[in-house]
Amino acid sequence: MSQSLPKGAIFIKTLVLFIGALLLFAPFLFQDTRSLEVAARICIFVVLVASYDLLIGYTGIVSFAHTMFFGFGAYGAAIALRQMGPGWDAVVLGGLTGLAVSIIVATVIGLLSLRVKAIFFAMITLAAASVAMVLASQLSNLTGGEDGITYRAPEIFKTANKLMVNEDGKVARLFGVKLNGKLAAYYFVFGTCLVMFIFCLRMVASPLGTVLKAIRENEARAEAVGYRVVAYRTFVFCIAAGLASLAGTVYAIWLKYTGPDTALAFNIMIDILLMVVIGGMGTMYGAAIGAVLLVLAQYYLRDLMGAASEAMQGIPLLPELFDADRWLLWLGIIFILLVYFFPKGIAGTLWDKGARP
Amino acid sequence: MPDPSLVTEDLTIRFGGHVAVNKVSCAFKPGELTVIVGPNGAGKTTYFNLISGQLPASEGRVLLGGADITRLSPSARARRGIGRAFQLTNLFPALSVLENVRLAVQARSGLGWRFVSPAAQFSALEAEARHYLEATKLAEKAGMAAAALPHGDQRKLEVALLMAMEPSVYMFDEPTAGMSLDHTPDVLDLIAKLKEDSSKTILLVEHKMSVVRALADRIIVLHNGELLADGAPEEVMKSQIVRDVYLGSAGEDAA
Repeated sequence: MSQSLPKGAIFIKTLVLFIGALLLFAPFLFQDTRSLEVAARICIFVVLVASYDLLIGYTGIVSFAHTMFFGFGAYGAAIALRQMGPGWDAVVLGGLTGLAVSIIVATVIGLLSLRVKAIFFAMITLAAASVAMVLASQLSNLTGGEDGITYRAPEIFKTANKLMVNEDGKVARLFGVKLNGKLAAYYFVFGTCLVMFIFCLRMVASPLGTVLKAIRENEARAEAVGYRVVAYRTFVFCIAAGLASLAGTVYAIWLKYTGPDTALAFNIMIDILLMVVIGGMGTMYGAAIGAVLLVLAQYYLRDLMGAASEAMQGIPLLPELFDADRWLLWLGIIFILLVYFFPKGIAGTLWDKGARP
Repeated sequence: MPDPSLVTEDLTIRFGGHVAVNKVSCAFKPGELTVIVGPNGAGKTTYFNLISGQLPASEGRVLLGGADITRLSPSARARRGIGRAFQLTNLFPALSVLENVRLAVQARSGLGWRFVSPAAQFSALEAEARHYLEATKLAEKAGMAAAALPHGDQRKLEVALLMAMEPSVYMFDEPTAGMSLDHTPDVLDLIAKLKEDSSKTILLVEHKMSVVRALADRIIVLHNGELLADGAPEEVMKSQIVRDVYLGSAGEDAA
């Protein structure tokens, strides 16, 4: 739209820009291993949620197979790195294999079932995701079964790798941060995720993006105007699957471990769903907000509550209520409150605030 | 005499044992506005759905400019020139008025698959969309969500959307439904204007006899799924058989 943006939209965009800046400088701002772990996880989930928003928010497709595509990418890279040893050839081969498998599976699921009702489609993706989980645990020669696979990442990302050395031959520091392979790995994650997120943003602003919204709004009308709805749906399903798969590959390189819990578990799917709802469906910027909030809550709510519980020693009942072990309960309450006060998600609800009527 | 642009041959659809449209054969010529009348349940909308592809024909054929389009999807028919409006206003509610029309322009342009360049870059699409908004007097409301428009404007927007498809066949299903006829709704003026272009075939389902009289070049009457009468408005309205099945609305209008 050529008119000036509502204040809410400007706020959301600024917030997302701020998140981007925090993630960009994360290794310098938060100098500990756990924080970097959290920052990398946020990057990955921003892409996962953004690509999922293409489906659920923009096109109105409900899929439960997003983790499966994530897993294809992760296992592709993991298996290749394990079998071929650490190297970019393994990353590229594994990543592309995962990507190809994802796109093929997405095309098959899409063409076979995107013409049926949304609920059946959701069930079919659920079935496919379950099959993938069973396969991953059964084909243990290849996937390591329930234990998963550990492997080494390419040379440049090794923690011992020195990107720059000082006069003493030790790893150089910038603002106290070691310029080592871990830093390189983080910026690899950040860079690839940023590119993928920008790709999603551009996609929803493109002519195709408008067609997707049209399909979400009124499928029959879109068809009667002349759009092949099934083809468009299948296409966006493939794009989302491809992005999830690439994010999986990147995450596999970062973690140097891939197992059902990190790449295929249904928990990840639930996290994606929560993030997209918290952030706001069909907003794209909401993906970043939702991912940040939920990942932070998962990592730090426990600690925060532990501290709160400590502080409240002596007061009856409260310490128990805020006991660190009850963090999931509080996460649930926070989620309910968020949905209550931001029915369209944070970005979705705030976006139109301050708009001219 | 121009070639008939739209032909239905023995067009039939059955739902179980019920024949909703029964062997309707009819040819519609460019430059002609045909009003389809008939009591409720006569199969008017079903006949429309068979032509524009929302329902699959059980038997018979639909031809457009000589080509058989009976088995094509609604989107393929739309791309070949069938512009269909629906009985209940059928828009993209959360999208802006401009986006609604731009989608129709874009469908014709084949740019719908461009997925990296921003839509705003395709200013030609937008300019064209604005042209149709001007023509339907909606230009000032371009930025509003379609759902926020008053009912009459939504009807107009649907006409703009159809115009933007540049169809050879316009199909309107009760465009004045739910509107008072105290003053002629704008949407009828728009349809009357479409008639000025002699290359367009226009089909209109309508109950209100005043509308029929004002616009029709020809009337066909459907009754229980069958073609009952077909001819010039005066002729058809005079015919006894039509008066018998259609007494309700015709009588009401005469009163």
